[in-house]
Amino acid sequence: MLSLILILIASLFFTGIIFRVKSIASGRKGPGLFQPVKDVWRLFKKGSVYSETTSFVFQIAPVIYFSSVIMAILVVPFGSTKGIISFDGDFIFFAYVLALGKFFSIISAMDTGSSFEGMGASREALYSMFAEPAFFILMGSFALLTGYTSFLEIFSTLHLGSYITYALGIMATFVLVMIAMIENSRMPIDDPKTHLELTMVHEVMILDNSGFDLGLILSSGYLKFAMYGTLIADLYIGGLSMAYAIPVFLLTQVAFAVSVGLIESFMARFRMSHNPQFIFALSSVSLLIFLGVLLVLGKFV
Amino acid sequence: MHFISSQDQTTLYSMMGFEGLENTGFLFDTYIGILLAGLIGIVVLSERLKPFFSAAIVLLVSIVTSLIAIRGISQNGLELHLFGGSFMGDIPLRIDALSAWFMLIINLTVTTGVLYGIGYLKAYKPVKTIITLHWALLVIFQSSMLWVCMVQNGIAFLIAWEVMSLSSLFLVVFDHTDAKVIKAGINYMVQMHLSVLFLTVAFIWVYFKTGTFDFNGINLYFGLNSNTWLFIVFFLGFGLKAGFMGLHSWLPHAHPAAPSHVSGIMSGVIVKMGIYGIFRMITYLKTDYILLGDIILTFSVLTGIFGIMNAAVHRDFKKMLAYCTIENIGLIGIGIGVGLIGLGKGQNVLVFLGFGGALLHVLNHSLFKSLLFYSAGSVYQQTHTRDMNQLGGLIKKMPQTALLFLIGALAIGGIPPFNGFISEFLIYSGLLAGIHSVDIAQTTLMVLSVAGMSIIGGISIFAFTKTFGTIFLGSARTQLHHEPKEVSSIMLVPQYLIVGIMLCVALFSNTFLHVIIVLLNGVFHVNMEIGNADYLRYSSVLQHISLYSLLFMAVIGLLFFIRKSIAGKRESTYHSTWGCGYVAPTSRMQYSGKSFTKPLGKLFNFVLIEKKNYNELKSNEIFPQSRKYSSSYLDFWEHWLINPVIKYLNLLIDQFKFFQNGRIQTYVLYGIVFIMIVFIGTVLNLLH
Repeated sequence: MLSLILILIASLFFTGIIFRVKSIASGRKGPGLFQPVKDVWRLFKKGSVYSETTSFVFQIAPVIYFSSVIMAILVVPFGSTKGIISFDGDFIFFAYVLALGKFFSIISAMDTGSSFEGMGASREALYSMFAEPAFFILMGSFALLTGYTSFLEIFSTLHLGSYITYALGIMATFVLVMIAMIENSRMPIDDPKTHLELTMVHEVMILDNSGFDLGLILSSGYLKFAMYGTLIADLYIGGLSMAYAIPVFLLTQVAFAVSVGLIESFMARFRMSHNPQFIFALSSVSLLIFLGVLLVLGKFV
Repeated sequence: MHFISSQDQTTLYSMMGFEGLENTGFLFDTYIGILLAGLIGIVVLSERLKPFFSAAIVLLVSIVTSLIAIRGISQNGLELHLFGGSFMGDIPLRIDALSAWFMLIINLTVTTGVLYGIGYLKAYKPVKTIITLHWALLVIFQSSMLWVCMVQNGIAFLIAWEVMSLSSLFLVVFDHTDAKVIKAGINYMVQMHLSVLFLTVAFIWVYFKTGTFDFNGINLYFGLNSNTWLFIVFFLGFGLKAGFMGLHSWLPHAHPAAPSHVSGIMSGVIVKMGIYGIFRMITYLKTDYILLGDIILTFSVLTGIFGIMNAAVHRDFKKMLAYCTIENIGLIGIGIGVGLIGLGKGQNVLVFLGFGGALLHVLNHSLFKSLLFYSAGSVYQQTHTRDMNQLGGLIKKMPQTALLFLIGALAIGGIPPFNGFISEFLIYSGLLAGIHSVDIAQTTLMVLSVAGMSIIGGISIFAFTKTFGTIFLGSARTQLHHEPKEVSSIMLVPQYLIVGIMLCVALFSNTFLHVIIVLLNGVFHVNMEIGNADYLRYSSVLQHISLYSLLFMAVIGLLFFIRKSIAGKRESTYHSTWGCGYVAPTSRMQYSGKSFTKPLGKLFNFVLIEKKNYNELKSNEIFPQSRKYSSSYLDFWEHWLINPVIKYLNLLIDQFKFFQNGRIQTYVLYGIVFIMIVFIGTVLNLLH
């Protein structure tokens, strides 16, 4: 329960921090921290415009997308405190339930019959496909290291103690940050602020969504960010008491948001054709983590 | 063949622990009776009644044989004996839980297939004899598969196997006026006989070593000799049927050629007969588990990735589904590999999760793959094209078919809350449980397999969003000859039935797990009683997943309700799709399936070989004429392995063409020479 509440709180300011950092970095004052939430609230109150080409898929997709994110959040623990549900192998569920949301967001883009949205859908499907093995190798390595297969047990027994494990922690953080960027379609994979449909990935998929549906899609994006932020924080707060854990959690979220803002301010998006290579390289970082785990466990003699 | 009354055998059976056989014998007699009456009836009855009559026969056969199968599970094995004449001698029919599991799956799929087929074939008006043959063959086909699961005598098994292959061959070439269909049929026939060749070699091998064709001989053989090579020969034979990579090339030809209910049945169960065979041989293995497990695991991961990658790029949607079958065989194979490693290490958890996941995936795949083939068949029936890039926007014309295909697509991607997730989850759990090993090679193999499975899952989402999106969403890409409309209810009902069973598997997965644990206890002796800690652990996990799936549906329902009550009050307007300011878009401008998968095809161009047909623009062509461009994907193995081998084989065989010179006199001479050789050989005692 705690993790759900904390993720909800973090999601309120997360995207606001990103915008604020980007504004400051580009010399502007920028909107308030809660502007993104206010935007969503305004969207919830608006009417919608639907494309005549669309079918019921377009109507149900945003709802399913949002619910899939909610369901994924339910298994994310807070350090050694349980999420809503926890069972062996729940990280598989986590990945597959997010895949359901992705499936529907892709087909809802194709439902409009627009060539741009089809293009975005194709790219998004390709990129998220490449991100899968990195996540699974990472979690597999942790399962090997700790002997458990649920998020809760992995994170509550994961203690970073020696030099190698510090390196593992840093690499795992890197992998999770990058997966979060891919899943949320941010730099350096995708530029959410680009103004040309041809260069968009995620933004172009939701061109035809409006009103309540768009609000749902945007808010699931905020939630997803906070969710991955929690996973990153979980790497470090497993052994801490609550009094330390919550500040560390908030700090991690803020640091994550600031770094996203900084990356977006000072980096250009990769060339489309380089993206798959980059994402695939993530899997090799995950493999490094796996080798590190083997080292820690003394499997190399 | 003569059926021995079970009376005089009863004492023997009760000694062996088989009881209640009088009843089984009666059921078996009933089955044979129904079968014979059905075959005669199909020939005699009028054309209008044939479909319904054969559906009734299939249903009756299903009920009776399912009763036998259920008995097989509950009594932990049944044994009947047939007298096969002096040549085959005693033919044992052993129905243990493994046979029973596959028999139940066969019955389920064939029944839905026949129901669907009644509606599907209505659109065809071919000659009467062909219709008779088709329906009779369907009944024979079902029985031959059932026999494959039951008989345990090498020769009888090969006969049943051959009847299965041939009856399915004639079912495939239903549309016999099409040269492509005939070609696909011949391809299928040749490859199936390659499979028979391997199996025959294996059975004769066992016969020479042990002197019996009874499957117990294989048990004996494995107890005394090296296990690896014989098992590999069996694996090649059965793998050809199952469609493991490299042995798969009949699938993408035969499935598109066959009528859709036949492809549904073939993909749903005939490839599973290969899996059954592999499982059956595993029950006899004595050593070399780990080596074979490693081989099968590696091979299966590659099979899965290869299958789904090809599925992603093909534009013929039935071909795409055929490749997707190969992917699922890969997933099943991963489970088998994990289970074998578990047997080798004595880790019963791995056996339970690996074999259990594989067996459950056999059921699941037969459900959603037949569902997908049926709904794809409905599309084909209405549009007469299998090229998805010609279609589009069918969701408005055929909403129910679209929904059914969507459910199948989600389930096959292993996405919760559908049944595919349950079996994939078990296999994943098996891989994760196998990580903890002192053997670093095994740990690495398991982690890489986990990564492989996640890639398979990812590409499968890619492949199915593309297929569903291109066929059903957007707007129509071409003008069809006649307006497609929703198919008849006799075609829809079996599909809804399948969806119902799929949801049962997803939500009551523990019931199925229970059956599987009984099966594994009986057949593989995993010693996992129902109270076992490992069993309880995973059954509680599955319970969690089921609950979670229900919660998921509830959340979706609730959110949808909220959306409706809030957004319903706001005004919503309808307008054309945002076209970036361009006001005259046409439906041809939509993203097609081809363009959707182009990035994937480009990235993996070393496996996905693209063949382009076009004329290059020459430098002196100042006013170029209109020209054509087409591209298609070639199968890696067919292109690099099978076709070159056939080419060189042809070159070699061409050298012996002079034998067949068309003169009868020469042929008579050949006969005389042959007789002379035999005669002289016998006289001089050269032949033994």
